[in-house]
Amino acid sequence: MKSKIITAVVALVIVVLMGMGYQSAARHHGHEPEGEVDVKELIFDHLGDAYGWEVPFNHSVRIPLPIIVWGQDGLHCFMSNRITGGETYDGFKISTSEKYHGKVVQVLADGSEYRPWDFSITKNVAGIAIAALLVILMIIALKRWYARNGLKAPRGFKGALEFIIGFVYTDTIRPILGKHAPKYAPYLMTAFFFILTMNLLGLIVIFPGGANLTGNIAVTMVLALLTFLITNLSGTREYWKEIFWPDVPLMLKFPAPIMPLVELLGIFTKPMALMIRLFANMMSGHMVVIVLVSLIFVFTSQFSVGVGAGTSLISVAFTLFMLLLDTLISFIQAYVFTLLSAIFISMALVEPHAHEAK
Amino acid sequence: MELFTPEFGLIFWMFVAFACLYFILAKWAWPFIIKSIEERAELIDKGVAYAQEAKSQLDNAKAEADKIIAEAHSEQADILREAAKMRNELIEKARGEAADEAKKVSQAAQVSLEQSRKEAEKQLRSEVGELALQIAEKVIRRNIASDDAQRALVDQYLSEVETKN
Repeated sequence: MKSKIITAVVALVIVVLMGMGYQSAARHHGHEPEGEVDVKELIFDHLGDAYGWEVPFNHSVRIPLPIIVWGQDGLHCFMSNRITGGETYDGFKISTSEKYHGKVVQVLADGSEYRPWDFSITKNVAGIAIAALLVILMIIALKRWYARNGLKAPRGFKGALEFIIGFVYTDTIRPILGKHAPKYAPYLMTAFFFILTMNLLGLIVIFPGGANLTGNIAVTMVLALLTFLITNLSGTREYWKEIFWPDVPLMLKFPAPIMPLVELLGIFTKPMALMIRLFANMMSGHMVVIVLVSLIFVFTSQFSVGVGAGTSLISVAFTLFMLLLDTLISFIQAYVFTLLSAIFISMALVEPHAHEAK
Repeated sequence: MELFTPEFGLIFWMFVAFACLYFILAKWAWPFIIKSIEERAELIDKGVAYAQEAKSQLDNAKAEADKIIAEAHSEQADILREAAKMRNELIEKARGEAADEAKKVSQAAQVSLEQSRKEAEKQLRSEVGELALQIAEKVIRRNIASDDAQRALVDQYLSEVETKN
């Protein structure tokens, strides 16, 4: 009975929101004469970074975020709402040119555009900060539970967190890294929870979510780079020996160092794979959802509002399925990143006796 | 493709955010949480081992208790048998002793009875003799001719004697 009421309320809210969306879309439509929907523009707009953060049902109002740029004449700080409307402020504007599309540029005296060092708190940077803050809140809350209640098992959300930590640490990191686990666990656990939080935040369509964080190659690049650094900085002698003088027939390593080259390449392909895997998985998930939603508008502009409304039923069903799938993928990809990082680190910690035993 | 070219500013901030996150959590949260989880796992493992041991001990204790009870039963039976034997012996002994004592008592009684009887006889004899002498003396002293008179006299004296006794 209770669940039926909840379902009815949720359905009503969705219908009202959809109605508002149509109304808003219709109004928006009225402002712009062209009827064609630029799906490519739409997709890349949503997947990419932005200055300012969109609010629902409105295309012009954005939550302003600080822009910090180091131009040719030094540091400039101002809020993004000064330029997101297409204005030029203090010699800066958002470029519409092919080369710097959508980025802040400085307009030089001769009218040419100069891309400054851009440290702006963009939508993605703000999203990263929010995700980091959420992770800190969650984990510190759990820690305080243990500090207060000793060895009593937590319930509810903290219990779920503990279950995930048990799954990641006790069942994954510890068996892989053995006695080295306590040393590398803080990095791996931080990476896991950070990625997971960013993945899940990306699935929430309105503020504070909606930023495509782990579907951005810069974010995954930093994560992969950290794993790369940790792996190679903690590499043992045996690890480097296996790369430069592997245990293979002599003709494979001398005079032409075929195997060392392959091994050396392996050092770089492993983090590259980490970077691309997370990026591609999350980005494609977002892309499919956006394309499915865009279908409604494409069909509306191509045929009629009726066809669009019909499409929306199917689209929403598929979108819901995709979002559920993305929730699963969020967990899987965060876990896979952690698992593979742990494996790479454990491979770098190889001891000579383990090699001789083979 | 804008999507595949990492933005420098984002890399910078991502690195800063991750570094902050890492240092905060690695300093204040992860070691403590991991320690707590491992301690609890250990506690649970210990608890399970303890429970198993306790159970096996309990089973052992049951068997032992059964053994002890069986032993106690057999001991009890032994003790009872022994007690019965001892009781019988005691009774036998007491009976024998009682019989001996009774015999002695009856013998002593017989002896004393004999003695007293002999004494009584002796006394009787001396008394009778004396009486006879007294009677004879009186008879002679009276010097009476008639038999009847004599007889009456004897009777009188005899009854005198009887009343005296």
